[in-house]
Amino acid sequence: MLQISSLTKVFRLARSKRARGERDPRERGRRFHAIDGIEFGVRRGQVLGLLGQNGAGKTTLLRILSTSLKPTSGVVLCDGEDLTKNPLEIRKRIGFVSGNTGLYGRLTAREMLHYYGKLHGMTAATLDERIGLLVGKLDMGRFLDQRNETLSSGMRQKVSIARALIHDPEILLFDELTTGLDVAAAESVLTVVAACKEEGRTVLFSTHHMDEVNQLCDSVVIIHEGKLCFEGCVDAMRSQTGESFLDKAFLKLTRPKKEVAIT
Amino acid sequence: MKAGFQTVFFKEMKDVLRDRKTLLLMIVLPIVVVPLLLNLLIGFVMKKEQEAQTEMLEYIVFGDEFAPKLAKIFEAAKDFKKVTLGSRNELVAAIREDRIDFGLVIPEKTAARLRGQEQASIEFHFDNASIASKVEDRVKERVGEYNEELTTARLAKLGVSSGQKQKALLEPIRLEEKGTGNMREIIGDRIGGMVPYFFIAFCFMGVVYPAIHLGAGEKERGTLETLLLAPIPRYQVVLGKFLAVFCGGIIAVLLNLASLGTWLAIKAGELRGIIGMLIGSIDSLDLVLLALMLIPVAAMFAALLLSVSIFARNSAEASTLISPFGIVLIVPAVLAMLPGVELNWFWASVPVTNVSLAMKELLKGTMDYTMLIAILSSSTLIAGGLLFFCAKWFNRESVLFRM
Repeated sequence: MLQISSLTKVFRLARSKRARGERDPRERGRRFHAIDGIEFGVRRGQVLGLLGQNGAGKTTLLRILSTSLKPTSGVVLCDGEDLTKNPLEIRKRIGFVSGNTGLYGRLTAREMLHYYGKLHGMTAATLDERIGLLVGKLDMGRFLDQRNETLSSGMRQKVSIARALIHDPEILLFDELTTGLDVAAAESVLTVVAACKEEGRTVLFSTHHMDEVNQLCDSVVIIHEGKLCFEGCVDAMRSQTGESFLDKAFLKLTRPKKEVAIT
Repeated sequence: MKAGFQTVFFKEMKDVLRDRKTLLLMIVLPIVVVPLLLNLLIGFVMKKEQEAQTEMLEYIVFGDEFAPKLAKIFEAAKDFKKVTLGSRNELVAAIREDRIDFGLVIPEKTAARLRGQEQASIEFHFDNASIASKVEDRVKERVGEYNEELTTARLAKLGVSSGQKQKALLEPIRLEEKGTGNMREIIGDRIGGMVPYFFIAFCFMGVVYPAIHLGAGEKERGTLETLLLAPIPRYQVVLGKFLAVFCGGIIAVLLNLASLGTWLAIKAGELRGIIGMLIGSIDSLDLVLLALMLIPVAAMFAALLLSVSIFARNSAEASTLISPFGIVLIVPAVLAMLPGVELNWFWASVPVTNVSLAMKELLKGTMDYTMLIAILSSSTLIAGGLLFFCAKWFNRESVLFRM
């Protein structure tokens, strides 16, 4: 369903951002290759875990897939349709939530869902029906009419997820969804992701928590310094590294080779 | 179904109007604070003016025996009080230290010179640094009385006794002023340049906070990224935001105008004289035109500040970047106050200055209404250009995702 080929994103570096000490291998002169020649595919209904250390390029990749950023080169096909050719149509099929995406503090959760629903061209009747459904699914009834600024982190993340689901998208992009949430809130959010999988939605799920990968993901893609360094299922990750714990397997796959030799 | 920009606009208005800071700047400031400040300021100025006119002036005279008549004029005046001072050397210090208001030093030869029909000089020491001081006027008035008396006597001695003849001798040619400008024009020219500055400043203030909140604020809160994922073209997002910011400026201007108008209507009776006359001569059409001209100004400010705000990483940076504009925008407004800068086809195309000049003309009552078309067209064109730039700016990744 989603086919990513030779995807590269290059940013122009501001003078102040250029490395003065040890240079990042992705920094080439004034240019920074945030992702470089990434290729992988995601099947319909699959949950794909997107792993990588901080700054690996996960967020850039998700931003390209969500059409916020345009790739420098390469192609992303969504059911055979080029993402960059008709982004407005693709956006109707995509929902995006990140740990950093915020809410309008002065609006209530209901008002915010109405806003995004209207932006997606939904009628008032469809919107009310859809909000009712999401409120039940995400257990948002208690705080639906409270201003977002008064909500806890867990509640806020639920509103964010409801916002991403309001237009019933086929593809969901989750970027570090549980960052900053307590155990209960994280569990509740992960239940929603599992439900999305059951509903047959395609999910790209970026995380640093290997237990979440183990629990939810059908396959995994690891990005290291902008390049793809692993693609396969969770078991393949274990077998390729000889590690039973995913944390260790991940570290082996992303650690520079000389460091692996020392340990 | 509403167009995307309408949905964005209504949501942004709801968001902005729920903010206390915005309400304070946009609504409370013009309705409550501006009339209150005006009341206090004008009340204070009038009180000080009154005090300066009637306060008792304490003075010292050295050598009053050389011009006893003059000394008696001051002594007889009820609002002058003669005091004593140790020595003449203390005179300057006493004035500087505010122990006395002024001092007169009459030289010894004064009596002889006056007797000999010559001109005599008297030293007049006072604090000329104080602009509001009325000491100079009041002293000159008294000395003028004595001068007039001496002149009449001297001319009579020369055989010119009739008042008319004396006048003819002293002023052979009298320039009879026949100014074509009526009082409204004169006052409008003097203070008309200041008024637009205030309205332009109010308009700017009304735009600043919504621009920061809806531009950099969205980035800061992390809501911009989700908004960019809405299936509407980005120019519609910009248009919706622009309209909300623009409304902020318009609301601020209209409330300021309404508030000022109401205040002036109430106070017009108290503000007698030329100010009262000027206020009385401004009709409702002038106020409507005043508001009309501020519309493209608000649009220019909204597009400009939204572009700056969207470039900033966060609200604090946006405030820092926007602050200099507050000073820069004074320049074209101040240009309108300069002598020789009059509303013509050239100045009608200079943004902000054109509106300032037009407001001045409106207050003077000498507005050439064909100029309005030029002003509105050029300002609207510039506002449109800035909005176009803002929309282009909003499409740049380096602006939206600036790290």
